[in-house]
Amino acid sequence: MDDSADQDGAFPDESPPGDPLTEPQDAPRRRMLLLGLGAAAGSAIVSIRPALAQSAASVLHCQIPIPDPARADRHVAPDGSLVAPGTDGAFPGAGRAFTGEEVKAALRQGRMLPGTGYEQNRAYLNYIRRLQSGTSGFTCYASLQMPR
Amino acid sequence: MVQSARCWYRDGGDALIRREIDGLTLLYHRPSGITHIADSPVPEILDALTRDPQPLEAIITRLAHVFDLPDGSDTRGLEQHLEGLVALGLVRVTV
Amino acid sequence: MRHAITLGIGPARFRVGSAWEQSIAALRTLYADYPAPPDGIADFTVRLDPAGPGRRWWRPSITIAGDHMLPDAAPMALRHGLLAAEMGMNLQMALGWRRHLLIHASSVERDGRALVMTGESGSGKSTLAAMLGERGWRFMGDEFALIDLVTGAVHPFPRLVSLKNDAVAVMRSEVPDPARFGPLMEATPKGDIVHLVPPPEAIARMAEPARPALLLFPRFGFTPEVRSVGKGEAFMRLTQASTNYVALGEAGFDALHRFVDRVPALALDYPDSAAAIEAVERIWADLP
Repeated sequence: MDDSADQDGAFPDESPPGDPLTEPQDAPRRRMLLLGLGAAAGSAIVSIRPALAQSAASVLHCQIPIPDPARADRHVAPDGSLVAPGTDGAFPGAGRAFTGEEVKAALRQGRMLPGTGYEQNRAYLNYIRRLQSGTSGFTCYASLQMPR
Repeated sequence: MVQSARCWYRDGGDALIRREIDGLTLLYHRPSGITHIADSPVPEILDALTRDPQPLEAIITRLAHVFDLPDGSDTRGLEQHLEGLVALGLVRVTV
Repeated sequence: MRHAITLGIGPARFRVGSAWEQSIAALRTLYADYPAPPDGIADFTVRLDPAGPGRRWWRPSITIAGDHMLPDAAPMALRHGLLAAEMGMNLQMALGWRRHLLIHASSVERDGRALVMTGESGSGKSTLAAMLGERGWRFMGDEFALIDLVTGAVHPFPRLVSLKNDAVAVMRSEVPDPARFGPLMEATPKGDIVHLVPPPEAIARMAEPARPALLLFPRFGFTPEVRSVGKGEAFMRLTQASTNYVALGEAGFDALHRFVDRVPALALDYPDSAAAIEAVERIWADLP
């Protein structure tokens, strides 16, 4: 069925003058089309995921409280989850929020968050990595994520 | 070999805006508001789809009409591309 | 708001209010030469609020608030109030401006054509634009380039230039007039910051757009190199550098496509500002 008359199959801005799907059989040399398999197939299209949080948040100084104020009395386990105070191996909250710059240095350059020892720093960073949308500090963390 | 009964189609009209730059194709999908950048063979595959669902064999035939297909009539690569495009919301499939 | 000022910067107007007089006074001084918006109507409101009960007087610290806000904003010290006001205005633009495609980029103009420089914090785009602005180019902005959705022209947004750390000394030696510099704000989260008032010509001509002729991706602190950047890569990188590409939908897509299609793009690695300026002049002269 030839639908060239009814523009359904054609892109509105198609530049070639004629519908290529109805070109005569004896048209000069056709271009090769590689449909491929495996790794090559499926990677021929990339969706743009614009860095909304990143580019807008870069105009601000942001901070990440550990833990978020709604759960200020909880302690931070080594894997970053929040547990009851007094749980073995868990650390109390930081008592201060860390700035985006401090967190970036800790995540990307291996520096420790100010005032923390090795284990405590690791627990806090794991907490940060687990932040979900809606939790205080999430937007700040998201803004540190993708390099621009 | 079991022939797939699935048929592929896409939204008609101007759901997709297309612009060529540097041999790549920019695609703006109006229904989703998402932008994609595509390379051959994706734009050619999209060209071969219409509002009416077609099975893989028919799509290959349409492509072979215009292009030289060294993969012959092996439809697996085409199917893989189509699956990816369905996941992105640019193509639809019926069973 | 106890203390307030209305400012016009490029096409945008801001009403900035504060619980404290000092930040508003600083704005009034530094923006003195900018045309006052005639009717006091603003596109955006920015408020510098006390960060919690009692914080207006005791260890005063500022929360930036306004029509558009982001969660997790860190409170700022009162002595950094001018910086808070500037950041508040930038935030309104980044989140709320829809009349142009907004790109994190600096821009300068010569002979009606614009050079647009985009990059991360630290790429040197602000300092380069400020320096070119002192060397025969018209400064159009250091933070945002506004791209017209219909014509593709670049519109000026010449806010105060935010100079950080080493750039402060560089510009003090470039600009002899001390009145063009704001107060030194030490130890902000991004380092030491001083604001620089753009040159008088930049302010006088801030309603004049320019046709973009070159897009540059500068990188400070690298061995000198100039590389061509393909349109696909430029498009991708600009979607990351734009704060409102998604929100603009189809208009954003069209405007950005037009931009990368018509404007050549180059990556410029440079070891210091002098090398960058020389490279920019050379590249500009070679443009068709």
